[in-house]
Amino acid sequence: MLPEILQGTVGGGFVLIQDSSNYSGRQLLKSFIHAALTREEVVHVLGFEVSEEELKDGLNESSMQRLHFHNAYIDPLGWTESPHFTVHQFSMEQLTSLFKQTQQTKPFTLVIDSLSWILRHISTPVVCESLQQLKKGGAVRAVIGLLHSDMHQRGLVGSVCHLATSVITVRPGLRGDGAVAKTTKRSKTGKVTQDEEIFSIKEDLTVTVQGKPSQPGTTQTELEEPEADPTANLTFNLRLSDKEREAKEKLALPFVFSKEKKTALLHTGPGSGRILYEPDANDDYDQEDPDDDLDV
Amino acid sequence: MAAPMKSVGSKLSVERPAFTTTSFQKKTRSKLVSIPGTRPSVQNGQLIVSTGVTSLDYLLGGGLAVGTLLLIEEDRYDSYSRMILKYFLAEGVVCRHELFVAAVQESPDDILQELPAPILDDIAIHKPVEQHGLPCGPQDSLDSMKIAWRYQNLPKVQSALASSSRFGHYYDVSKTMEPEIRQAANCHRFYFPEHPTQSSPTQSPMLESYSALLKSLQEVIHKGGFDGAAPMTKSRNILRIGLHSLGSALWGDDLCCRDNPRHSHALTTFLYGLRALLRSSLSVAVVTLPSHLIQNRALMGSITRLCDNAISLESFKGSERETNPLYKDYHGLLHVRQVPHLNCLVSELPDRKDLAFKLKRKQFSIERLHLPPDLSETVSRVSRGELAGAAMPGSACGSSTSGNKHLDF
Repeated sequence: MLPEILQGTVGGGFVLIQDSSNYSGRQLLKSFIHAALTREEVVHVLGFEVSEEELKDGLNESSMQRLHFHNAYIDPLGWTESPHFTVHQFSMEQLTSLFKQTQQTKPFTLVIDSLSWILRHISTPVVCESLQQLKKGGAVRAVIGLLHSDMHQRGLVGSVCHLATSVITVRPGLRGDGAVAKTTKRSKTGKVTQDEEIFSIKEDLTVTVQGKPSQPGTTQTELEEPEADPTANLTFNLRLSDKEREAKEKLALPFVFSKEKKTALLHTGPGSGRILYEPDANDDYDQEDPDDDLDV
Repeated sequence: MAAPMKSVGSKLSVERPAFTTTSFQKKTRSKLVSIPGTRPSVQNGQLIVSTGVTSLDYLLGGGLAVGTLLLIEEDRYDSYSRMILKYFLAEGVVCRHELFVAAVQESPDDILQELPAPILDDIAIHKPVEQHGLPCGPQDSLDSMKIAWRYQNLPKVQSALASSSRFGHYYDVSKTMEPEIRQAANCHRFYFPEHPTQSSPTQSPMLESYSALLKSLQEVIHKGGFDGAAPMTKSRNILRIGLHSLGSALWGDDLCCRDNPRHSHALTTFLYGLRALLRSSLSVAVVTLPSHLIQNRALMGSITRLCDNAISLESFKGSERETNPLYKDYHGLLHVRQVPHLNCLVSELPDRKDLAFKLKRKQFSIERLHLPPDLSETVSRVSRGELAGAAMPGSACGSSTSGNKHLDF
């Protein structure tokens, strides 16, 4: 599923990359930027954590004019007189005015590196509301954010994941080659699909999926010994041949009702009780001696 | 309480089920008008409405009592709780009640457009329970059981929850409700991002979003005459309130984000005010809450206590239980967290605690989870031996408990 999300065929929304200190998700984020630029899309990057040079390193030179880097790395909290971009500018009104400055006609992709930085300085409900508005807005085609899950409380990570359309959690692979990405995607109809893949990122920032990880820790299937057939090796015969089976089934059991009576009994209407009585030979049903005159 | 006084003595609702188990109808000479879509409960005489899901009605003691609140703790991806909310609203449309929908993640119109279509003919309903192990067709089933043939049509295990009389409708999830039917119902909407913000000067423990919602509800109830303000001649109706994803970060509440939320009493104050509104009017509310995000269990406990009914959905999607063969027929587990005590000391508790649900096309069924008997020899032997060892610490035979684990009498 990872290549599909990379290609953006699923239609944008909010993609969240969750990483931890064991494995950094920044390379995957850069491959997302690379894929968007290859698709001739305009990309805006809000960079808090790494410098512009470091982020642009490895990306294609020719598509650089479509990449707009809003430098929040130098002065994110606005301590100097004229900061480029501060963290407090992360609100819907300020962002839309910022994006209008770089005139574009078609919807662009917004990449946030990283959301953890913003969440440390602005309260979570405000960030969630801004993300929700960005997700819905017509100007932004897709929002891709990086979140360091070990920097925040579980409730906060959960709240942000709840907003996301797709969540990709990356962790280091067991065997040392490549990393494992667990992807969860929610479609508009409410259907949820999940996938776990081993991937690796090459020098030119293309992602190759190498397959599924084998799960050693999950359900141990017990190797049951094939149970010994108890009907074998006996001095008497416990098995039936086909002819014997047929004869057994043809045998009419005593005290059994006819087929019509059985169906009548089985399909009686609900809630009514009927007494079906078939007088047999021993019953003496004398018409002239009814029990109605018994005064009981 | 306002609700039960109106309910006692009203005739049974006009809808007769396709087959009646009994033709008894209570005759009363009261002048009270009966509200369509409601009926008095057989347990305590409260006026109840159907939630739209018949198995859930059975769990709640026949239905949701008018004037109460049902809390649904959402599953991880909010698929099934949203489905139950849609069933609830669809039932309101079919019973011609009024609706009030509040949402913050998407517009209430999106929820209203996804309501399932009602199945209006009575054929697909309430057959004797179909089971997996039952052979197909009534004709050849006679040959399947030769001796115990009377038990053929009975299910192997009585797992589906159903009551004898029909109350509530069935819906087809694959189709959406026709726009004509939906527009016939009066729907009030509350969409917080588009709600005009009124700056309240008073310092209230509630957040702005919650107080705006409560004010809006109060206006709707008062204008619609649900609280008895309108004269008696006007026909009464029920207001069904559906609040989606209350307490999530989009309402402005940091209940789900922090372990020690700053506004820890905002949601609880809101629920208190909501319950007061519900008790004094002919309305019923269903609230969904993303409880899997709330880390503070004490707060979650107080929220549960403030609601009358509370159930929690746990879906298997994405958890390791998905591959468990025990759960392969079901979509998730359902836990009943709270049952109401309405004018009584003892409430009707469900007799089984382990319930599982599955969403079929024509029904959302909640069933008792049955564990198959454990037939492997080693397990039973060890447990019996251990039990025997534990029960007799100093056995008369003089043998030590640990040595004779495999003694089998």
